Amino acid sequence: MTTTPTRASSFLGRHNLGTVVGFEFIRTIKKRRFWIATLAIPVVMAIIFTLVFASNSSTRATSEAQKNATLSFTYTDASGIIPDAVATAMGGHKSTDPDTALADVKAGRSDAYFAYPANPATEHVKVYGADKGIFADNTYEAVAKQLLTIAAQARIGSPVLTAAAGGNVTVDTQTFRNGQVAGGFGTALPPLMFLVLFYVSIILLSSQMLNSTLEEKENRVTEMILTTLNPTTLIVGKIISLFLVGLVQIGVFLTPVAIGYAFFRDRLALPDVDLTSLVFEPGPLLVGALLLLGGFTLFTAMLVAIGAIMPTAKEAGVIFGPLMALIFVPFYAISLILSDPHSAVVQAFTYFPLSAPVTAMLRNGFGTLNTTEAIIVIAELFILGTLVLRLAVHLFRYGSIQYSSKLSVTKTLRRTPPELTGK
Amino acid sequence: MTAGGAAIEPLVRIENFRMDFGETRVIRDLSFDVRAGETFGFLGSNGSGKTTTLRALLGIYQPTAGVLHIGGKVFEPRDGVRLGYLPEERGLYKKEAVLDVMVYFGRLKGLSKAQARSWSLEYLDRVELADKASTRLDKLSGGEQQKIQLGVTIMNDPELLILDEPTKGFDPVNRRLLMDIIEEQKLAGSTVIMVTHQMEEVERLCDRVILLKDGTSRAYGTVAEVQEQFGGTLYRITYTGPLPGSDLYEVTAADVGSADLAPRNGADETAVLRELVTSGVAVRSFTTERVSLEEIFIRVYGKETADLT
Repeated sequence: MTTTPTRASSFLGRHNLGTVVGFEFIRTIKKRRFWIATLAIPVVMAIIFTLVFASNSSTRATSEAQKNATLSFTYTDASGIIPDAVATAMGGHKSTDPDTALADVKAGRSDAYFAYPANPATEHVKVYGADKGIFADNTYEAVAKQLLTIAAQARIGSPVLTAAAGGNVTVDTQTFRNGQVAGGFGTALPPLMFLVLFYVSIILLSSQMLNSTLEEKENRVTEMILTTLNPTTLIVGKIISLFLVGLVQIGVFLTPVAIGYAFFRDRLALPDVDLTSLVFEPGPLLVGALLLLGGFTLFTAMLVAIGAIMPTAKEAGVIFGPLMALIFVPFYAISLILSDPHSAVVQAFTYFPLSAPVTAMLRNGFGTLNTTEAIIVIAELFILGTLVLRLAVHLFRYGSIQYSSKLSVTKTLRRTPPELTGK
Repeated sequence: MTAGGAAIEPLVRIENFRMDFGETRVIRDLSFDVRAGETFGFLGSNGSGKTTTLRALLGIYQPTAGVLHIGGKVFEPRDGVRLGYLPEERGLYKKEAVLDVMVYFGRLKGLSKAQARSWSLEYLDRVELADKASTRLDKLSGGEQQKIQLGVTIMNDPELLILDEPTKGFDPVNRRLLMDIIEEQKLAGSTVIMVTHQMEEVERLCDRVILLKDGTSRAYGTVAEVQEQFGGTLYRITYTGPLPGSDLYEVTAADVGSADLAPRNGADETAVLRELVTSGVAVRSFTTERVSLEEIFIRVYGKETADLT
């Protein structure tokens, strides 16, 4: 039973990294729990889509029925705006006696009675109708308003003026930046996708990352691992595997959305997004990608460090919660970030490491993050991310052996220098 | 203290090792070496510093001071000597299948996937766990998990095998199996460092030993040298009549009509026997025996500690 390993290879580090990534990835996606959690979201989405689909079908059918239904109503017109012909065409009969008209509604002889005041702009239009249920009763108000609108349009007598008065016009806006046409919202959207990716990856993967490093400690496997491979390889391998797991999850989430959008867009009443209006500017896209990568590195490193310090997942949650909350903080100031990006608060959010990724990605999307600021924030995230990752590896190496108690970070850092180990 | 035998380049060298945890000094100026190919017994009661020394040797702890080398340098995983380490705190990925975990560690130790799988299946068959290859580790009994852990430890054909209380948790049958495997490794040329409280195992397997107490070496050398250091021989007698004290021997154990005598002041068996006879003791039998390591352990730690271990 002797098997001598292949020891001479110069790519042992990469070999081990690949082994760790493969093991961690496969054992995660092999778990039934993973698929239950992952599939739960698209299943819920599918249920919602089905409900929306059914609801829209029902609404459409009801709407068609209401459109075709004839409403028998009486009306009085103190304003003198309503032309008799228009009212008659809509099923109305002019009344001169409000009391009789109301009595007919109460007695069920008439569906509704509309009382138009002398000045509809300042006085209320009174609508009385036979009760047909909460939703069907809305028909009365809709018909009363429609009658008034058609009457007003008839008075104006010009389709152009009617559209202008109703604000029913199309506006094409073109703005310029540095003498070039700016893309507007179409420019903002692509870089903001990195913000969405950042959120999705942190929300989906952070808990797994925290538990992943705690697992070695809770399973008492740390000593076996530390004497078999470099802890940096283990940590980086875990990060890569979780990133791959995240891609699988995103794929699973997006599949029903893509199918729904491609085949059932009309029935689901999804917005018809014109993708041709999107402008893909290389600069903001590159900055967005680097901010995503830097932010992901920083947060991941922090989670690994927490996992190395805390003895159990339960205790790690005490720190984990506030850390996650800090990511959301910039959204409470989103209007300020968009309207006054140079205010002290926004500047603080831009450079404070935990809020920097979200704030900078928002500003990058909306074009208020200049090149200098972008370089500083990206450098800050990568440098801090690398430092925290190194700290995390150090804490894991010298702290994860502390199985049952919380690690003292200062004590670990105060450990003797390498020369004492003979290095 | 120096070990006996010819000068051979040590595989493990520890010099002036000191380890502090906060204000507590756990290891005090410890020096010893382990030669290539030998089986080395690392003895001492709980808390004497054995596991701490091993962890520092393997880079899990950073030593406060001293040199701890394996193969002439500080240990780094997968760099230099092939290591098999069975830690005192045992554990593997409990939620994973036995074979998956074994193949994973085999891959990390440099085996190809096919080699790791083939070795694992062969090993599982040998330890009568072939039918558990697809079973999750946490569904196995404690003893079965120990067998898997041992397999993971030796699957890379280690040049240096470090076993921290290897028999802990094993029943007598599995302990026999474990000892057979250790002997095989020894015969295959592995250097073995073994932490254990089982003195009969040490006497049977170990070439040299070190005995730690409170982080310092209390005995070090070949088993025979250590026995010699603690009196080497003792005389077991049966007798009638009173047993008086003497400068030539010390009574280390006594029962009705029998006693163990440790010689003192360079007395040999003839001198002790003459002393007994001239003192009026009716000696019915007189045998010469070596001091057992267990007896030495008891002398160093006291009877209470020995009972506990």
